[in-house]
Amino acid sequence: MNLRWARRLVPVLLMLLSARIEAQPPRAPRTAKAAALYDVTGYWMAVVTEDWRYRMITPRKGDYTGIVLNAQGRRMADAWDPAKDEAAGESCKSYGAPSLMRVPGRIHITWQDNQTLKIESDAGQQVRLLHFDGSETPGGPWQGVSKAIWELVPAGRGSRPVGSLKVVTSHLKPGYLRKNGVPYSANAVLTEYFDRVNEPNGDAYLLITTTVEDPAYLAQPFLTSSHYRKVADGSGWKPTACSAR
Amino acid sequence: MRNSIGAVSLAAGVAAVAGMVLAQGLDFAGRTGQPAGVDLSGTWYPLPGQDAGLFTAAGALVDYGGIPLNEAGRLYALAWNPSRIQGRQHQCMGYVPPYAYNQPANLRFWEERDPDTQRVVALKQYWQISEGTRTIWMDGRPHPPANAPHTWSGFSTGKYEGNTLTVYTTHLKRGWIRANGMPQSDEATLVEHFVRHGDRITYLSVVNDPVYLAEPFSRTYTLMRNIKEPDDWLYSCDDGEQILGRREDQVESYPWGKHPFVREFADKNGIPLLASLGGPETMYAEILDKLKDPAAAERAADALLQPSDSAPRAAAAFDTVPADGEIHVLPVQGNVYMLAGDGGNIAVQTGDQGAMVVNTGAGRISDKVIAAIGKLSRKPIQFILNTGYQPDFTGGNANLRAAGDDPSVEGSFFSGQFADAGKGATIIGHLNVETRMLALHAPAEALPSDTFVQERRRKFHNGEAVEMLHEPNATSDGDSIVHFRRSDVIVTGEIFNTVSYPRIDTKSGGSIQGEIDALLKILDRTVYQHDEEGGTMVIPGRGRVTDEWEVAEYRDMLVIIRDRVEALIDQGATLDQVKAARVTADYETRFGATSGPWTTDRFVEAVYTSLKNPPKAGTDQ
Repeated sequence: MNLRWARRLVPVLLMLLSARIEAQPPRAPRTAKAAALYDVTGYWMAVVTEDWRYRMITPRKGDYTGIVLNAQGRRMADAWDPAKDEAAGESCKSYGAPSLMRVPGRIHITWQDNQTLKIESDAGQQVRLLHFDGSETPGGPWQGVSKAIWELVPAGRGSRPVGSLKVVTSHLKPGYLRKNGVPYSANAVLTEYFDRVNEPNGDAYLLITTTVEDPAYLAQPFLTSSHYRKVADGSGWKPTACSAR
Repeated sequence: MRNSIGAVSLAAGVAAVAGMVLAQGLDFAGRTGQPAGVDLSGTWYPLPGQDAGLFTAAGALVDYGGIPLNEAGRLYALAWNPSRIQGRQHQCMGYVPPYAYNQPANLRFWEERDPDTQRVVALKQYWQISEGTRTIWMDGRPHPPANAPHTWSGFSTGKYEGNTLTVYTTHLKRGWIRANGMPQSDEATLVEHFVRHGDRITYLSVVNDPVYLAEPFSRTYTLMRNIKEPDDWLYSCDDGEQILGRREDQVESYPWGKHPFVREFADKNGIPLLASLGGPETMYAEILDKLKDPAAAERAADALLQPSDSAPRAAAAFDTVPADGEIHVLPVQGNVYMLAGDGGNIAVQTGDQGAMVVNTGAGRISDKVIAAIGKLSRKPIQFILNTGYQPDFTGGNANLRAAGDDPSVEGSFFSGQFADAGKGATIIGHLNVETRMLALHAPAEALPSDTFVQERRRKFHNGEAVEMLHEPNATSDGDSIVHFRRSDVIVTGEIFNTVSYPRIDTKSGGSIQGEIDALLKILDRTVYQHDEEGGTMVIPGRGRVTDEWEVAEYRDMLVIIRDRVEALIDQGATLDQVKAARVTADYETRFGATSGPWTTDRFVEAVYTSLKNPPKAGTDQ
């Protein structure tokens, strides 16, 4: 008897619950900030353990090991002249979006508004704006236009949504992939994923996976991965000017 | 009929709510029983563009920039001579993660699921490099006890976090951070994160190594998916002597401060030496400030080429046996088990004839030892083999003997000659064991009742050949090793352990050279199954079960320390000067001690003393 009542009650309760949910007023589209899959904000310190000798110390001219340049790219790299860049007021050529996240130093990530993430660097004092609303406002002269989405991983029935912060940057001013003049052109397109992982000891890391495509100078896409460790505050923040050497 | 309708309504209702909950993005993990993971199955290869110079050649000597080495790690690397890879046990050395991902070879992932529940039980990986197979358990099982063997792949457990697979690994062998001499110790643990973006995996590894690192070492790699199944999956390796006439106890190393190539990498690439020597500060932009004054940076670099001061350091390694007053039993191989928790390790071989026990521990909790053996063997202890006289290994002799029984003596002609023949287990040991125990006033019932003086004592027991091999003048003049030949397990007693330098007792005939010779004899008998892993298993006097790799590493360490002390003696150094030189600085954080029964100072003194006044072969001094 009790079991029969329970069986009759369950669908009724479920329908009532369903009706209650459906009766709620339609919600406004969620903002990028509200839809964030994880928190990327805060101060982060670059941990330079990949390509250390190319990132921490300026490589010698002509050392483009690991980057598959085409003939024009090699010609450009071999013609690197930092004095010329300094004279032209272009000391920040190696601080553009395709290389900024590889520069040793700290970054500070904040939500500028509900649809825009802002990345500031202490090295070179650059600003990147990652727009989730299609805006094309560049953060700084070397940073191009960055469009961001929370990209969900395609999945079948039964999976909960997971994904990454994906950023595509274009409209770049020509600059350097490495400080020793390895070039990218104005037509370069940078695709990045920003993922956050947490350690058992409480540390958090920001992983940045990048692809630079530039038919003008690259014979194949330039792929790298970099990472930052979260720091408590801006106490180590040390703004420095761009350096061409 | 009504029941059917009710069931359908229930199912539909639940499905509807589930769908609504999912649509609202609520976390369903833990309710469905299925981990919400990203599929990593398939074949992959590490992208060679990043850190391009580090593939295959493993990097240049003294290229340590960006690696948070502590002093011991840096000094280990600075002493490392690449000729060591020609040593027999090093030629087929396996690869540990994360170094294993920094190799030009293929990698395969696959899942193993329970056929009934479709739950992921484990993720498997196969590396072409060293033909390594790795299991990442996803079923929540615990990690093995600390005294279980370590392997190249370690023991890994994993879980999905969002679109990331996170893996935690323990029980790794001593391997490389980079095969230019930068070590990753066997105390290292590893956290890895695999994040998939289409045909690309971004991989972050975080190594925590209390022995050789000052900070966690984090690093990313990229793995690319092979669209076409590659053909190359094998990596065969077999070792052999490559240099005719090389001494068995030759292990090349560079004296600190005299590395012939210390500046080669730095000068070639225009890098200040201070930066190329590594250390935690070289991972961060802050190192750039230290490089601004070249003269000061050069002075700082020079100071890093030798031990910083004369004060020895204590080991950061953990004790492998919990001090909980209990006996911990570990199956080793074949019929052989290891019992830990009462002084030195105890080995037990079981079979139809009765238990054969190697060493009896300190005797503090013999009742628990006897109880543990009773659970392993349905017959009493018949034989006790003593590998040495030391109380940590013979302290339980009297108790275990009394608990045993040797029916092979009862009723024999011995019965008529000795009133106690067959009363209790028979204790076998080298004659010098008895002599040393008598000197320590050990009770008569604890002494070996069956002594030998020859190099090799043999027995066939429980269906296998058992050999006791005397190792003259190792830690004393009475040491033996025991080899269970069918089970293929060697019990080393005091000669080898995984927690400290060998306790060489020079007053009882021990010597550094005899110790090295004993380790060489062990290595003459071991056979690895694959790439310095498995095969003959080794039960050390203290610490965890190993195979030949750890014995070879121990041998290398002792040869290197012997050579350093010998060089100082040749220069006329006194014992105090040898101690002040910190000849063990690269091993202190692994094996050193500044207090307790066997300090680094006592070990160095034993090395010095036995080199200055070596014992006559097979005798005490």
